[in-house]
Parts: sequence; structure tokens; C-alpha cells
Amino acid sequence: MLSFPTPSVYQASKCFVTYGVMGHLDPNQPPTKSKPWSTVAGQDFINRAELIIPQEAFDVVQKILNEKAAPEFKRVVMSLHDIFSGDFYAEYIKKGDIMMLSEGRKGVDNVFTLRNGILTLFLDKEAYERAGLVGKPDGVKGKRGLKPRWVVEVDLTGPSMVPGKKGFDRLIYASKNALGTPVTWLFCNLSSTVPDPDPFPPHYPTNCTAEPSVLQNIDAVLPTLTPPVDAMGPEGRDELEYFSTDLYEWLSLVRLQSPRVLVGDQIDPYLCRYQVPGDGQQSKICKVTWQGFLAPSWCRQTLLNLVAGLPSKTWFSFSTTTFSKGMAGDNSEVALFRPQGASGEYVMWEIKSHE
Amino acid sequence: MDSTSQTSSKSQPIAAVLLSRAFDPEESKRILAEKIQQRPLFLCPSSPPPSDARAARRREREKKRLSRKKALKPKPLSANERRKLRLYEVPGSGQKYALFEPLHQLWLGYIREILGNEIYTGGEGAASKLTSADFHGAEVEVVRSGCVSRVGIRGIVIKDSRFTFEVVTKKNQRKVVPKEGTVFRIEVPLATATVTTTTEEGQGDDQPLPQQQQQTEAEQPKMIFEVHGEQFQFRSADRANKKFRSHFSKIL
Repeated sequence: MLSFPTPSVYQASKCFVTYGVMGHLDPNQPPTKSKPWSTVAGQDFINRAELIIPQEAFDVVQKILNEKAAPEFKRVVMSLHDIFSGDFYAEYIKKGDIMMLSEGRKGVDNVFTLRNGILTLFLDKEAYERAGLVGKPDGVKGKRGLKPRWVVEVDLTGPSMVPGKKGFDRLIYASKNALGTPVTWLFCNLSSTVPDPDPFPPHYPTNCTAEPSVLQNIDAVLPTLTPPVDAMGPEGRDELEYFSTDLYEWLSLVRLQSPRVLVGDQIDPYLCRYQVPGDGQQSKICKVTWQGFLAPSWCRQTLLNLVAGLPSKTWFSFSTTTFSKGMAGDNSEVALFRPQGASGEYVMWEIKSHE
Repeated sequence: MDSTSQTSSKSQPIAAVLLSRAFDPEESKRILAEKIQQRPLFLCPSSPPPSDARAARRREREKKRLSRKKALKPKPLSANERRKLRLYEVPGSGQKYALFEPLHQLWLGYIREILGNEIYTGGEGAASKLTSADFHGAEVEVVRSGCVSRVGIRGIVIKDSRFTFEVVTKKNQRKVVPKEGTVFRIEVPLATATVTTTTEEGQGDDQPLPQQQQQTEAEQPKMIFEVHGEQFQFRSADRANKKFRSHFSKIL
């Protein structure tokens, strides 16, 4: 979050809108640090990615998507101790680049995540006290020293995280005694190489692929898809707000496959007062969805390919949603919309839950 | 001896004057003569011993106070003095785990004797016997603690004080573990693991036998119990007669 103080009670998610211009895309040096790309890559585990395009652009998109294979991930039942033992540890964690997420909700169960070589354990009080690893209190600050939940972060890529060293032995002790129950993990290998004597088979993983599912020829009523002219300056702030809110609402309804955006929708205004803003232009659109355990780097790469591949006269919208966090089940999301026109403008919505 | 006090002016002593105010003249004269002028001055006041009950009680009290003062001499040491004298410190040579192994075996035997049949059933009966048991020589392992760096400490108890356990680990280190907010686990293997081997067969048979011993140790059924240090903050001598009531525990 930006510099807001941590709230002590539940707060609703916040949405940040950015209206900007994408820089020139050099295919040899894909951008990583500037605004839309760093936001997309900066999310943690992504559950769903969706793409909305006009029907005419579908063939182009099909070609772009067929160039790369669909993202693959595995679901496996392991205990934390198995991660630290032998081949798996040496091959995947020390040498490779992987991402793992265990089952459970962060505020309620004991959840373990592994990302960029950093293992994070979200534990309740008993598990933390039994584990014996040093961590920080998690969640609401204050509450008279009760500190019911804890977060432990361990950097597994360091040179001292080797069997035989004290810090690593403490991890092994904790994983054997306090955190020893096997849980279901989602595993994603971010690097393109698979280690040769694959250490996975003893754990019987299930291989899953996030194939894109396509919904074509949706007859929809389009809202105004061009941002207001003076939205860049400080005077146009209100206009930008209205435009972005309307557009985000419409995009969300399309993603939800709501009948309200379809042509010829007649619903009693007593039940729903929504009307597509704008002049009621009708067109066919198409929605592509990937659902699974996706890596943020894959999302960024896909977005890059789309921006580079799609002609500038088509608009498109790409959104990524993370796994839900916390007790309330909120998740965070990044949605991007590129209007038609050659200027490389984009509107980006970041939804951040307070946890 | 007469003890009189005479004023210069009056012919009568002042005592006589005062007495004559309270009593009639004959009485006052008698009292003056017997109790004042001819008052006996004892040279040795306490012999013969006074038959007065009050005086007897007073004598008893004095005697007791003096003897109590004698008992506290020399006075018990203050905490600072104890620390300076290092009475309870274990010297470096004494901090060997191997030294306390036989003590541990003794303790295991003692516990098995105390528990008797309860070692198989466990539960309330075993718990009440264990609370009054002595833990010097037990091998404890810290299993849960508010201070996470203590978790995993394992060793033989050499001192069981009111608030801490002093423990010698396998690496010959003396560690002091506070009892507050910590849970200790103690394992008591059920049967004695000694396997008597006959050495008639010679060298060749010695090698497979230790392996067998190790196997039986790992498979041996053990009685494991956990002690909540918070509720255990008494000296081991005081714990013998203490009745334990369940108190609200901060860590649970």
C-alpha cells in the first residue's frame, strides 16, 4: 500500500486508477521497471487472467497466443519437511526459480508461500511457539500485547541455508516437529528448464495446464471507449474519474458474463438500474480466460506480446487477479485497458485489499 | 537497710504523708514500715525462682528469643553473597554430559518406580504422581516457548530452582531455561534397554549386536509427557506437598 497506516479494523479494498502512456517497446529489451509492467509483475500468485478484445482481433490474438505454450503448474501433496530434503531442495530451490503456495487462508490456517527464494510462513500462535523460528507479529498492531498471529520469513537462497548449518537445522527441526503435516501445494516452475533427474515423482504431483478458455461472439453494447480529452490535466480529474469508473464497471460485467451488457437486454428497472453508458454502439467482443496458478512474469510477458502484436486500431483489456488473502477473502487485481489510437495510452486500475 | 527519703521541712517522710491520705493511720504506719522502710533488697533476685506465673512466662519468652537469635547466627546468605561465593555454580570440568548420564538412568528407574502401572495408562493418576516427583536428572526438551530461541534445547536437568531449569546439553553446555511460558517434554522409555550379551562367540558377533540394540531403542514404547513450566514455578522441595489446581494459562 502507499503510506497509509495499517488499519485496525477491516477496511474495504481500494482502487487506484492510472492514466498514462506506455513508452516505446523495444523487443530486445522488454521494459520491466516502468508503470504498467512493474505493477503487473509485482503481484504475487495470480489466479486468473482475462483478456477482452473485439471479435475482429481474435485471429491475431490466437496467433500471438499460439506462439507460446499455455502456462503449466502442478498440484502436489507434500509436507514442509519434504521441501527441505535432498534433491527437491538442491535442484528446485537452490538452483532453479520456482513459486509455491500452500492451501489455506492466511488469517485462519497456517499458510506457507515460496517466492523469489523467500519462504514465508503465516502461523498462528501455537505453531509459531512450537516452531522456534524468529518472526514478526502479523496483522493488527496493538491489542494489548496479545499478538495472536506471526509471520516468519526465511531467505532460502542464502549461502547459510545448507544442511549442516545452524539456521537451516532449526528450520528442519521446526518442519519436523511443529509444521510436519502434509499439505496441498500449488507449484509453478518459472524457469524454462526442468532438472534432469526430476525430484518430483516420489510425491505424485498432478500436472495441470491453464488452457485459455475462449468465449466468442458476445453481442455487446459498448460504452465510450475513448478517454476524455482533457483527462490528463488537473482540471479533468472528475471526468477521468467518471470515465474510469464507468469503463471498469462495464469491463467487470463483461468478465462476469453478465447479461446486462448484451444487446437487447430488457430488464425491469426495478430489478437493475444499470445502463451501459455512452451512445449504445453495438459490436461483437470476445473474452479469453486463463485460470490456474499463473506467474506474474508470464502475465507481463503476455501483456507485452499483446501490446506489440495487436494493431493500434483495436482496443483491448487485460486483467489479472490474485489468490484471495486473509479471512475476508479479498484479492487484489490489476486491470489494464488500451484504447484504440496510436498514442500508446492506457488506463490501469489497481485494486488492493488492505491485507 | 532502710531506704528513706526525707524532706528538709516536714518531720514526716513524704511517703507517710501520701499513705496517710489513702489509708487510716494504723494501716499507713504498717505499710510504711513493712513495705517501704523495711523493704527487702534481694541480692540475688532470681533465686529462689519467682513463683509468679507472669514472671515465669516472661522468662520463657526471653529464653526463646535468645535461642532463636543463636540459630540465625551465622545469618543465611543473601542472594548477592551466594552469587559471589559461587556455591551453585558447576565448574567447567563438571559440565560434561557423560557425567550426568548415570544420574539420568537413576532418574529413569526412580520414575518408573513412582509411576508403577500408571506408566501404561497415563492420565490423571500419572499426572498427580509426576507433579510431586523430583526432576533432577530428567532429560527435558523445550517444545514450546514464548521466547522462540529456547525451542529445541535438550539436556539433563542438573538444578531445578524455583523459576528455572539448569540443563546440561549433549554438547557439554550448561543452559539455564526459565520456566515461564515454556513447555517441556520428557520421555520415559518403558523397559530397560540393556541387552546382556555373552561374549563366548568372540569378536565377530559384537558388530551386529549393537545394531540390534539401536533398533530396539528406536522401537521402544515410551511414555511422553509435557510439563507446563508456568504452573511448575516452585522449588522441587516445595512441590512435593503442593496440591496443584489448574490455573488460567496465558499461553494456551
